[in-house]
Amino acid sequence: MTEMHNMKGMERKLQKADRKHSRLYLICNFIALMIISAFSALMCSKTVQTVFPQGGDSRKQMYAIFVMTLAGCVVFTIYAVGLFFRHKSRQLGVLMAIGASRRMLLPGLFREVFFLSSLSAATGILAGFPFVGIIWGLFRLLLVDSAEMALYLDFRCLYISGAFFLLVVAGACFTAWRYLKKTNIMEVIREEHINEPVKQLGRWCGPAGFLLILAGGVMGYKAPVVWMRLCSSYPPSWLSVLYVPVFVGLYMVMLHTVVHGWKMQNKTRYKDIISRGMMKFQGRQTVNNMLVITLLIAGAAFAIFYLPMGTLSSLLGYRAYACDYFYQYRADQKIPERGAIEELARQHHLSLKDWKEAGYITLGAGGEIEVSDGGGRFHIEYEVLGGEVKVISEDAWYTLTGHRADVLPGTYLYVTNTEETSIYTDETAEDLTNMVTGSHIDTEFAGFLHYDLMAGEIGYYVLDNEEYRRMSQGLTDEWRGRIVQFNADGKDSYPFASELYRLFVDSFDESCEQTCAYDRVVKIRENEKGRTYWMDTELGDEFKISFDQTDSMMFKTQWAYKPSFRILLINDYLRMTGVLYMMFFFVFIVCLTTALVICNTRCRTIALNNRYIFDDLKKLGAPPDFLNREVNKQCSSVFITPALVGMTTMYILFAGIVYGNDGKISSYEVIALGVCLGILILMGAVVYIVYRSTVRTIKRHLLQEQS
Amino acid sequence: MERHCSYAGIWHNRKAGKIMLYVKDLYKSYQVGRVKYSVLKGIGFHVAQGEFVAVMGPSGSGKTTLLNCISCYIPFDDGSIMVGGVKLAGQDEDALAKIRNTKLGFVFQDFMLLDGLTIRENILVPRIVQGKVEKDAEQLAARLADMFGIGHILDKYPAEVSGGEKQRAAVARSLINRPMVILADEPTGNLDSKSSRIVIETFIEAKQKMEATIFMVTHDSFAASFCDRVILLKDGTIYRQVEKEGSQREFQDKLLDAIREMSD
Repeated sequence: MTEMHNMKGMERKLQKADRKHSRLYLICNFIALMIISAFSALMCSKTVQTVFPQGGDSRKQMYAIFVMTLAGCVVFTIYAVGLFFRHKSRQLGVLMAIGASRRMLLPGLFREVFFLSSLSAATGILAGFPFVGIIWGLFRLLLVDSAEMALYLDFRCLYISGAFFLLVVAGACFTAWRYLKKTNIMEVIREEHINEPVKQLGRWCGPAGFLLILAGGVMGYKAPVVWMRLCSSYPPSWLSVLYVPVFVGLYMVMLHTVVHGWKMQNKTRYKDIISRGMMKFQGRQTVNNMLVITLLIAGAAFAIFYLPMGTLSSLLGYRAYACDYFYQYRADQKIPERGAIEELARQHHLSLKDWKEAGYITLGAGGEIEVSDGGGRFHIEYEVLGGEVKVISEDAWYTLTGHRADVLPGTYLYVTNTEETSIYTDETAEDLTNMVTGSHIDTEFAGFLHYDLMAGEIGYYVLDNEEYRRMSQGLTDEWRGRIVQFNADGKDSYPFASELYRLFVDSFDESCEQTCAYDRVVKIRENEKGRTYWMDTELGDEFKISFDQTDSMMFKTQWAYKPSFRILLINDYLRMTGVLYMMFFFVFIVCLTTALVICNTRCRTIALNNRYIFDDLKKLGAPPDFLNREVNKQCSSVFITPALVGMTTMYILFAGIVYGNDGKISSYEVIALGVCLGILILMGAVVYIVYRSTVRTIKRHLLQEQS
Repeated sequence: MERHCSYAGIWHNRKAGKIMLYVKDLYKSYQVGRVKYSVLKGIGFHVAQGEFVAVMGPSGSGKTTLLNCISCYIPFDDGSIMVGGVKLAGQDEDALAKIRNTKLGFVFQDFMLLDGLTIRENILVPRIVQGKVEKDAEQLAARLADMFGIGHILDKYPAEVSGGEKQRAAVARSLINRPMVILADEPTGNLDSKSSRIVIETFIEAKQKMEATIFMVTHDSFAASFCDRVILLKDGTIYRQVEKEGSQREFQDKLLDAIREMSD
């Protein structure tokens, strides 16, 4: 006798029997929600918000990757719910066919999808927190740990996860309602077998897609510069629309992969006809999925490239510094003198050598600046007080570097780094002004000198000795300063460097509590014109540093008088920048995981939907090897093309950005790009391992189905 | 010989009892892009109580579309369909669902059993949809299963039984609400000849013991030769009706001749 006496009982039994499909739906939702919850939790955490500079590029890039991941997860959950209903539709159709009205089916179906979607979404959101906690904990345990790495979550991130939760539940209920609204019952019954062929374009679409990616990338990247030159106004945000061809191009490349494949047509026309046919007729979803996978792989690559590019350039740069200790200070500050420092070194059983000192002055330098006309427009003007520069004499240059520089009167040489990538002069300076007496000299740019330790945001100019003497006259101590450098004799001492840093920082008064972006000359100029310097307004607040946080990354990298103690820089670098890099490492893990989960699910769906074809092929005499090959071909299209396109596009784009930053690629950047290439090979290996495992699972399932 | 016979012609030439299915001037077309394809072009016939009628015709002649219109699975453009005196046109969705549940029984080519339910539960599904399963329904299900030789598999799941047994279970399901008409779409299409014969015998048994009215779409002249009457469709119109005379073998020959003639 049956235990099932009414609709509710029957629905319960059918739901129990449908566990397999429900489980897939639950897992897909759970993973999507967990990833969004974890990503938003880390992104909104005080830990990350404190370290990532407001309005900085790294923050914008983090948000951009988050939006991309969010879009990927939205597409994935829509796909998951679609998949669930494709299997469910037969059951609904049969019940409708034998007289169940939509009104009768609606409550049960809503109950089921509401339960499944809200359960998976809620547990996904909750799991996001331990997920981020565990990953972050592992980073701290295995990679880098510092006080700044302590994770302080801000639960306002739940707004994002909550919105996604509502989207998932509402999307599932809407899909249920849409299925029941269908008037053609036969269509509902046969939904599982209905193909969704993709619009077929000719074989030109793949190459045209690559051209569009290239064109979109170049246009999007170059457009702001061209806009500023042509329109003399700041580029509007809608200009980003020029990147759209990149996405259209990616779609066309994926379409080509699904419809035509990339092998020579004549050789493979019949060889690939079955696998190509199977993919083509489920093309729409496959192409969408592949596009999302490509973007996620590209996002993962972009995030992971941050690590070698940032760390290698910096660490190799520190190692190449000409001396162990280098610092500069204003003459009005009471900095420990040589004797005190040597005494401190002795306490650390360290002797110092190669002690060199030289004076510098700070002058106002003329230059072309952008003057805002309001409404986003600007014009270029030459200002005698364009900004502050530090100036040393030919003799001081010789004292510090041991090299002679012959500077002709009326000219200046600009100090940059060996690679000439650190250039902050526009070579248009025509005047140098004494900010106390107002005297000035006409001058012009005559070339570069190279000294890594003196290259930076506020560049050093080297003047003829006589002109330097003339310009120094009348300057007060706040416009004068000294540069000191020395080496450790033998093995350097980290505790000494650390204590010296503390001593050095503590010696400065509040007037020096500024970043290198704070320009005293611009402040005077603006005040003379009756305006407030923008750094003194609310806009400048986000660039403020404090002597209370002298160990923060912001202070250590942005302070106007930051010293360069090699042993400190090398040892503290990862600790200092840990949050930044670990955030990007986390983004890498999240994007790659999401991409691989989508790859795996899509491949399993293609195989599941085509299981009848595999069965028919077997009946027609296809040997196991042939069937294996067909499964391999389909899975490889889903895994390999998006991985290759995503990784290659991002590598080229990243190399372009590195080049575009300063118009050249330094030797450190070449090494970092080499490491990035190595990482891509590792990423490729991970993708390949998951691909092989997916293929194995699919073959096992097909074998079970057929038996 | 009647060619392209009108509804009126059939009506006056039949000496049947109560009319269970009545179709008049039925039109149905499909829109594919900008092109409109007419599939049914003014079909008219009726089926009397206890009659076993088959519809045959080449692919694209409109057999399945006709059956889907009668089943209320798809809407039709024009004309009239009455099941047990109830007009389908103008009924709302709930009313159509009720007609499907109480007045019609369905047998599909691919059985359409629910995989998660046992054979017994599958047979009872139309009763569950109707409301509640009482003792009498369970007894009827057992009786039907015994009658069709599937009593021993009632507690098995569809995946555990043969195609023929699945189809007999589907026939039992179609009869559980004692419908006015059973609509069968290629019921032997997925079966071997032995199972086909058993399923057709099941229909005949239902007709004889329960006075079931059966309207079957088929490609199979062997299956059709067990019917009382066969309607031949061609290009969306009734080409000819062939009534059973003589033995089953003679009727099959007659059908094959008619089909050959239609193909010329």
